[in-house]
Amino acid sequence: MIQESLEKMNPYIPKPATVIAVKNESLETKTLRLELYNWRTDFVPGQFVQLLLPGVGEAPFCIASSQSDQKHIDLTIIRRGILTTSVHYLRPGDAVGIRGPFGKPFPLEALEDRDLLIIATGIGIAALKSLIIYAVENRKRFNNVMLLYGARFIEDLVYRDELKQWEKSIDASITLSKAPPEWQGLRGRVTDHLGALNIGKGTVAAVCGSPTVMSSIADALVVHGISTSDIYVSLERHMKCGIGKCARCLIPGGKHVCTDGPVFRLSEISAGAIGE
Amino acid sequence: MMIRVSKQELLELPSLLSAMGYSVIAPIRTGGIVKLAPLGSDIQPELEYVRVVNSPKKFLLPDDELLFRYRSTATITSYGLKIRFPTAEGPCPVAILPEYNPVRERLALFGIHQCMVNSVRYLDTVMLRDPADPYYKNRRDGMFIAELDCDAGDEYCMCRTLGTYKVPAGYADIRMRKSGDGYLIEEATEAGKELLSKLKRQDVKGKYPISVPKMVKDFELVTRDDQEIDAKEASRSLVACTLCAACTVTCPTCYCMDIEDKFSLIDPSNVGRTRTKMSCQRRCYSTIAGGTTFLAAKEERFKWRVKHKFPFSINAFKLVGCTGCGNCIACCPAGIDFREFVGRRVA
Repeated sequence: MIQESLEKMNPYIPKPATVIAVKNESLETKTLRLELYNWRTDFVPGQFVQLLLPGVGEAPFCIASSQSDQKHIDLTIIRRGILTTSVHYLRPGDAVGIRGPFGKPFPLEALEDRDLLIIATGIGIAALKSLIIYAVENRKRFNNVMLLYGARFIEDLVYRDELKQWEKSIDASITLSKAPPEWQGLRGRVTDHLGALNIGKGTVAAVCGSPTVMSSIADALVVHGISTSDIYVSLERHMKCGIGKCARCLIPGGKHVCTDGPVFRLSEISAGAIGE
Repeated sequence: MMIRVSKQELLELPSLLSAMGYSVIAPIRTGGIVKLAPLGSDIQPELEYVRVVNSPKKFLLPDDELLFRYRSTATITSYGLKIRFPTAEGPCPVAILPEYNPVRERLALFGIHQCMVNSVRYLDTVMLRDPADPYYKNRRDGMFIAELDCDAGDEYCMCRTLGTYKVPAGYADIRMRKSGDGYLIEEATEAGKELLSKLKRQDVKGKYPISVPKMVKDFELVTRDDQEIDAKEASRSLVACTLCAACTVTCPTCYCMDIEDKFSLIDPSNVGRTRTKMSCQRRCYSTIAGGTTFLAAKEERFKWRVKHKFPFSINAFKLVGCTGCGNCIACCPAGIDFREFVGRRVA
């Protein structure tokens, strides 16, 4: 009881969760399945949580699991820094802390009954996975669902099992910019394959990737006739508090990624907010 | 109610405030500078000053603040520090049990100028908007502000341009100003009325005078737009910038923060989640995983600071983030003056 009221009062206090499964996605990437201890989230695709590793610190990650299961959350984490390296040593049964979910999600109702184009590059697919699952689970609510997933090397591809599942109901294609000779799929960058897709004025796009790639994708989508108010980008900043107090996630224009985002309409943010 | 007191009587106010249960913070002259510090019984507050090198921010958002403590399983082995994540026995883990005991301390800021009162207003806007920061709110609730009017700024001040010489309603509990060889004090809130009633003085007829402080250099604001600031050339004036971050440290409204887990090597399992100040002048401010840095150049970081004060704050909080106190110019070892960047000198 005391614990509960403390959390309600203080948004900085993490809530307990247990790692119940760890899945190797690629050489550098793992997916943690967390069971929330006596609480449930009410997340909507696009939101993020702060993951606390006891003794190491805290970092923000987008939830990469189905909205229909609010007792568990999946986090796909690539090894990049001190905390994410420590994440790779977690085993089932380990205790972690979770704060959140935070941020504004994808406006799901605005996306429905339209052609949905999901473009992810690299680990950016983790931020869009909950949206992809939502589209797969509620396939009838969308017209045409296209997924374009780009990676550099074949070893970098994540969600291989899920992709096979998704392919059954949505139009998924993978492109590798440094593909091995035996690669059967698309080659090159995601922007090279936009012309082959059936996109037009009615299409709504969700994009996530590294900042530089994301701004070039956004430019290419505008060239292909999608209006900037129909392009949603999921931005990345090193958010520390998650509630708009630490100003670490401020983007040009004065918006906070943690409270006003991380999902933004391209028309809402000023030029240069995405990229370096 | 407005009363007239002598300087000696005015200096009794801090002890009256501490008798009311406040811990009094006042400007104190030490070693050639004036700074806000807790007032001891044998120290006199400084009344004839222009600037303080620190600001109410130091007390409302401390530089190093413990948010809560928890136990991890870190141990020191003969190989060094080893962190083993707590492993659960059964489905529910021991988990993280945060210990957090809010300490209620009523602060009283005595003799701060209008610019500093305005900085409290800005910090309130940022920290108390939904969801409110519990640590800030805990200190801010029940705080007493005794404002002392500033009549003339020094060469770094800019409050006249920004209008921050006006005290926003509800932010000062009493207002004080020098008048002849005494001081005029006006109550502005109930708490102020309670304090003044202890002085047992007769009301003075008339209105509390409002004056605009004299500025040594007068500026008018010409640039306050995102794109305009970005388009301006600043690299030449920034050559001397050493990225020491004195501008953000002394700024009364710079509130960017870092949250880290800290523990001592003597007891590594006792982890403290601490909130420390962060400066946008540092490279790590804008670095994300993988090494992408959004503000890589010195010029970008300088412009970021100015943009955070003007367009970003206006867009996000409908309030200008600069109070015109001039601390960032006065404390800059390279003499960088942002007023020349956003404003134009008026003769």
